Amino acid sequence: MRNGDGHAGLRARGVGVTLGGRPVLHDVDLEANPGEVLALLGPNGAGKSTLLKALAGLLPHEGRIEIDDVDVASLSPRARAKRISYVPQRSLLRSALSVEEVVALGRYVHGGSFGGMSKNDRDAIDHALDTAHADVLRDRIFTQLSVGEQQRVLLARALASDAPILLLDEPTASLDVGEGMAVLRLIRTLAERNHTLIVVLHDLADARSTTDRALLLTDGRVAEQGDTAAVVSSDPIRAVYGVKLIENARIGFEPDTEGTGTE
Amino acid sequence: MRLYPLLFLLLLVAGVLAVLVGSGDLADPELRDTFLKLRGYRLAAAFLAGAALAVGGVVVQGLFRNPLASPSVLGTTAGASFGGQVALLAYGVAGVGNAFVVPEMIVPIGCFLGALAALAVLLLFLRITQDLLALLLTGFVLSALFLSLSAFVTSMAQETWELGRAVVSFSLGSVSGTGPRQLAFALPLIGAALVACWAWGRPLDLLLSGEEEAQSLGANVGAVRWWSAIWVSVLVAGAVSVGGNVGFVGLVVPHMLRPFAGTKHQRLIPAAALAGGIFLVACDIIARVIPSRSEIPLGVVTGLIGAPLFLLLLIRLRRERAYA
Repeated sequence: MRNGDGHAGLRARGVGVTLGGRPVLHDVDLEANPGEVLALLGPNGAGKSTLLKALAGLLPHEGRIEIDDVDVASLSPRARAKRISYVPQRSLLRSALSVEEVVALGRYVHGGSFGGMSKNDRDAIDHALDTAHADVLRDRIFTQLSVGEQQRVLLARALASDAPILLLDEPTASLDVGEGMAVLRLIRTLAERNHTLIVVLHDLADARSTTDRALLLTDGRVAEQGDTAAVVSSDPIRAVYGVKLIENARIGFEPDTEGTGTE
Repeated sequence: MRLYPLLFLLLLVAGVLAVLVGSGDLADPELRDTFLKLRGYRLAAAFLAGAALAVGGVVVQGLFRNPLASPSVLGTTAGASFGGQVALLAYGVAGVGNAFVVPEMIVPIGCFLGALAALAVLLLFLRITQDLLALLLTGFVLSALFLSLSAFVTSMAQETWELGRAVVSFSLGSVSGTGPRQLAFALPLIGAALVACWAWGRPLDLLLSGEEEAQSLGANVGAVRWWSAIWVSVLVAGAVSVGGNVGFVGLVVPHMLRPFAGTKHQRLIPAAALAGGIFLVACDIIARVIPSRSEIPLGVVTGLIGAPLFLLLLIRLRRERAYA
């Protein structure tokens, strides 16, 4: 098994972010461990995506973010990207790169800037495409794919870097039921392979079915943190969303293994 | 047909034509050598300038994530031209030069600084907005600014007749009068910058997905941007200093090539260097054979091909983005 060899966990202490002079995150503590999926929950504007970007080292922040006791801020962009992979909700790529070329971008952290792909690189790309069920898309042009297909390719790009920690920003947003379910199953698979996953999710039911622990953000502060089952049924959730949990009331779906689906 | 064999075949045809076609009579045994030598320099200058401008186009299009960008559209060429004029003026007026410093040497330096200044303004502007049209408008404003500054330099240079002539003929830009010394200075500059651009191909690929994604994939975005700007400035300076003060090469060539060579920089850049060289050599042949009282400037030929293509791309892009 090539992914998740590092078994690295991520720890954040007192993380705060100020954007355009406005503080949007205050004093966030969190911990994510290998083999575990941590959900970031909260209403729109609560700071979930901002927190994820700060954890990925993409935003200037206060506080300390560590991977296995190494301060992320002390790492070069390349060294950081070797440990943490960030998957945006949508890619801003508009150029006509093929899926294989997009996934190959994930290998940048391993190669020199010069020259082509090694056999190692090609194996990692094959493996990542395979894991994300994006192998059939290999020669397609990325920008011509559906949103769901693009999401799988972006996941493959992140996997190709072999980073043990994966940060996903609303990976199921604007996907249809089947596509969304395929992505959630993939998240579980990656956790089983000892990746550390932090996932921003909108859907509380998805969070409950897929994640182990959850962190609820409101107005840039941590309102609740703990086992997902407990957080989802907590008082803060009721206060934040104005909803309450009805056990077993939701119509459920599961992947149809005989269907064509997304496999 | 494979891309590279085709490009080399075209290069061979263009090279032979460039030596054979022109207003001089090669049958005259006394003048044949001179004509061949002049046409050889001219061929080399056009090829070098074309290669440099085409690769400059590829890099700025990736750098600004804007398919309509090119060194001439963004004002980089105008900046280089202005810088070269200032260098000439300084050489002539202040007497910068001596036996060891010749104009062929300081003009490329002036061109480089001018080009880099133009790109630096754009890169700083990129922090405020990433809007496609705003960037092009800024390039347009920079172009206009450098052209008017150039006019000022030209008028200042008129105080001495010889200096005035030198500055005017430099700003008109032509590969027809390029000499071996100019080529000798431009060749290593352009060669090194071409290799550097190719070597930076992978981080440039990352930048196609925007700053944030590039950073998350491990690119040092700031460094990639500034180094690329420096390489492009060297390329444009080299092109302008051998007389390639011509527009649209950096726009036309990458767009013609992408369907065949793809978008990945390390594949596109070598192809663009070859194709850009061929394109400008071909344009130079056209400039020579179109019947006219005096020779048509090279920039007119590239402009006639490039300007309609620019408009076409603009329309297509607006349509694509509108439905994106």
